[in-house]
Amino acid sequence: MRIRSAISATLASAGILLAGWQSGIHVEDTRGAAASTPAGTSGTTGATGSSSGTTGSTGSSSGTTGTSSTSGTTATDSGAAAEPTTGAAAKAGGTYAGSVVQTRFGAVQVQITVNAGSITDVTALHLTDDDRKSIMISNRAAPLLKAEVLAAQSADVQTIGGATITSDAYLSSLQAAIDAANL
Amino acid sequence: MNTQLLPAMAASSRGTRKGPGTFTAQHRRRLFRADLLTTSAWASVAAAVALWLADGGATGFSTPAGAFTALGIVAGLAGMDLVLLMLLLAARIPLIDQTVGHDRALEFHRKLGKPSLYLLLAHGILVAIGYGMAEGLDPVSEAVSLWVMVPDMWLAYISMALFIAVVVTSLVAVRRRFPYEFWYAVHLLTYAAVATSIPHQFSVGGLFAEGTWQRWYWLAVCIATGAALLHYRVLEPVVATFRHQLTVSRVVQVAPGVVSIEMHGLHLNELAGTGGRFFIWRFLAPGLWWHPHPFSLSAEPLQFDASGRGLLRITVRNLGRGSAQLAAVKPGTKVAVEGPYGIFSTAARSRDKVVMIGAGIGITPLRALLESTPFAPGQATVILRGRSEQELYLGDEILELAGNRGATVFHLTGGRSGRHPGSWLPDSTTKAGYRLADYAPDVATADVYVCGPAAWARNVLADARAAGVKEDQLHYERFDW
Repeated sequence: MRIRSAISATLASAGILLAGWQSGIHVEDTRGAAASTPAGTSGTTGATGSSSGTTGSTGSSSGTTGTSSTSGTTATDSGAAAEPTTGAAAKAGGTYAGSVVQTRFGAVQVQITVNAGSITDVTALHLTDDDRKSIMISNRAAPLLKAEVLAAQSADVQTIGGATITSDAYLSSLQAAIDAANL
Repeated sequence: MNTQLLPAMAASSRGTRKGPGTFTAQHRRRLFRADLLTTSAWASVAAAVALWLADGGATGFSTPAGAFTALGIVAGLAGMDLVLLMLLLAARIPLIDQTVGHDRALEFHRKLGKPSLYLLLAHGILVAIGYGMAEGLDPVSEAVSLWVMVPDMWLAYISMALFIAVVVTSLVAVRRRFPYEFWYAVHLLTYAAVATSIPHQFSVGGLFAEGTWQRWYWLAVCIATGAALLHYRVLEPVVATFRHQLTVSRVVQVAPGVVSIEMHGLHLNELAGTGGRFFIWRFLAPGLWWHPHPFSLSAEPLQFDASGRGLLRITVRNLGRGSAQLAAVKPGTKVAVEGPYGIFSTAARSRDKVVMIGAGIGITPLRALLESTPFAPGQATVILRGRSEQELYLGDEILELAGNRGATVFHLTGGRSGRHPGSWLPDSTTKAGYRLADYAPDVATADVYVCGPAAWARNVLADARAAGVKEDQLHYERFDW
C-alpha cells in the first residue's frame, strides 16, 4: 500500500469511527434516560398507572408481543378488580397482575385471567427485551410457558431451556399474580 | 531487427517528445483512483463499526459479558463488510479493473478470504461467550440454546459452515488437489453463505433494524453489491455476446500445439485499444460451451478486415484440457464473450518509454500491445524468450511491427540455466553476465510489461527491480489461473 493511501485510509477510518462514537454517546444518554423512566414508575406494582407505563414502553421500544397492545386495558381492569377482592379469598373472576421482576435482560411482568377459580389466560405485560436476542427468546418462550401454566394451573412448571432467566422471572411474577388472586 | 537507436537522453527526453506527459497524467489519475478505492475499502469497515457505535453499540462495554458480545458484534460487522468487499472485488467492475487490474483485484480478493473468515468465526465465538456469560452458561451450551431458541440462528450456523468450506477449498494446498470445476462449484456457495447469513442479521442482529443508521448503510451496500454482480458478471457479458455476434472464421496453426483463432464480429471498433487485454471466451460447440477460457487478444481488434468485417484474434497453446480441444474448433462456431478485462494495455502506461518482455505463449499479448500502444521510434524494446525460435510465437509479426514502428527487438533463445535458478535469461547469456539493463539500458525510466510463466516472470520482475524499475512501472499479467 502506498503511503498516501495508507494515510488517507487511516485518517478517514479514524474520522468515521470518531464521528460514530460521538453520536453513539448521545444515543447512550437518551436511551439511559428513557430506560430509567418506566423502571421508576413500575416500582409500584399492580397499580393502574404503573402497568400502563410499562406497556407503553414495551410497545415503543420493541413491539415485542401482540398481547402487549391489549394489556393496557386489561391492566386497568385488574386494578379495579383486584382491589375489592383482596383478602376476600374470592375465587371469582378477574385479572390479576403479577409483580415486576427485574432481570439482566429487562423487566418481566405477567397477568392472569381467573374464571371460576381457574387460570384461563396468562398475558405477558412485559418480557425481557434489552436486546434483540432477548426479544426473540422471550417471544419463543412465552407461549411455551403459558401452555405449561394453563395445563398445570400453577407456577410450578419446568423452565424453558435456553430461556432460564426469562422463565424464572415469568414464573415469579406469575406466582405473585396467583397469590394476589388467592388461588 | 533494428539497430540500437538512442542509448542517451534518458532524462532529458521527457517533456519534449510527441505526446509527452499524457501517460504522466493518466498515471497520476490511476494512482489517485487506487488511493481512493483503498481508502473507501478501509472506510467502509470503519463505517460499519461507526454506525453501530452511533446507534448506541458502545453501551454494551459496561459489563464483561456485554463487552464480549460487543466485540463479537464488531467482528461480525467487519466480517460482513469484508465479505461484501470481496464480492465487489470479484464483480469485474470496470473502475476497479482499470485501476488495479483484474489479477490484482483477485489477489486482494484472495487476501481478504482468511481475515474475513477469522472475523466471522470470532463473531460466533465471542457472541456465544458474551451471551453465555450473561445467562451463566458455557459458550457451547449457549450456542446450542441459540440454535434451539432463536428462530434464524440455525441458518447462520449453516452460513458459517459454508464460509468455512469456501475458504478451505480456496487454500492453495487444498485447491491444487481438486479440479477447477469442483473449486468453482464450492465457490458459488458463497452466495448461499451470504444469503443464509442475512436472516439473523435482520432478526437477532440490528443491522437492518428500523430507525437506525445501520439499516440504510447495510441496505445500500448489500443492494449495490448485488446489483454490481448482476450487472457486470451477468448482464454485460450477455449484452456483449449479442452485440458483437462473434463467429470463428479461421483457425491457423502457428506452431506445434499453438493456434490462432480468428473471429468475425460486429461493432468491434468499440473494442479499440483492447489489444493485450483479455476476454473470457466460450466456444458454443458441443463439449466446449461450458468451459470458459481466459485468453488475451493477440492483435488489436480490426473494425474492417479485407472482407469488410470486424476481426478479433487470439493465439492459444494447448495447456489445459479445454485448450487442447480449441485447436479443433470449427469455423462458424458462435462465441460468447466476457470482457475486456485487465490493464495489460496502454491504460497502465506511466512513462514515455516501454519495455516488453514475453516468454512462450505470453508473447502473444505483447504482440497486440506493440501494435497499439503509443511510443516514439526508439523508445520501445521488445525481448522475446523461448527455448527455441519455434517457441517465439508470432515472432515474425513482432519483427515486422517493430520494424515499422521503430522498436528494438531481441530474440533470446535457449534453455534456462540450471545453476542460476533466479535467472530468466538463457543459460549462455546468464553465464556471460547479462542482465535486463544490458538489453534495455533505459529500463529504469520505462514501463515494463512482463508476460509469461509465473516462475519465469518473478525472475524478470526481480531483475527489473534490481535495475531500478519502481513498482508502479511494472505491469504483469498472471497466466496460471
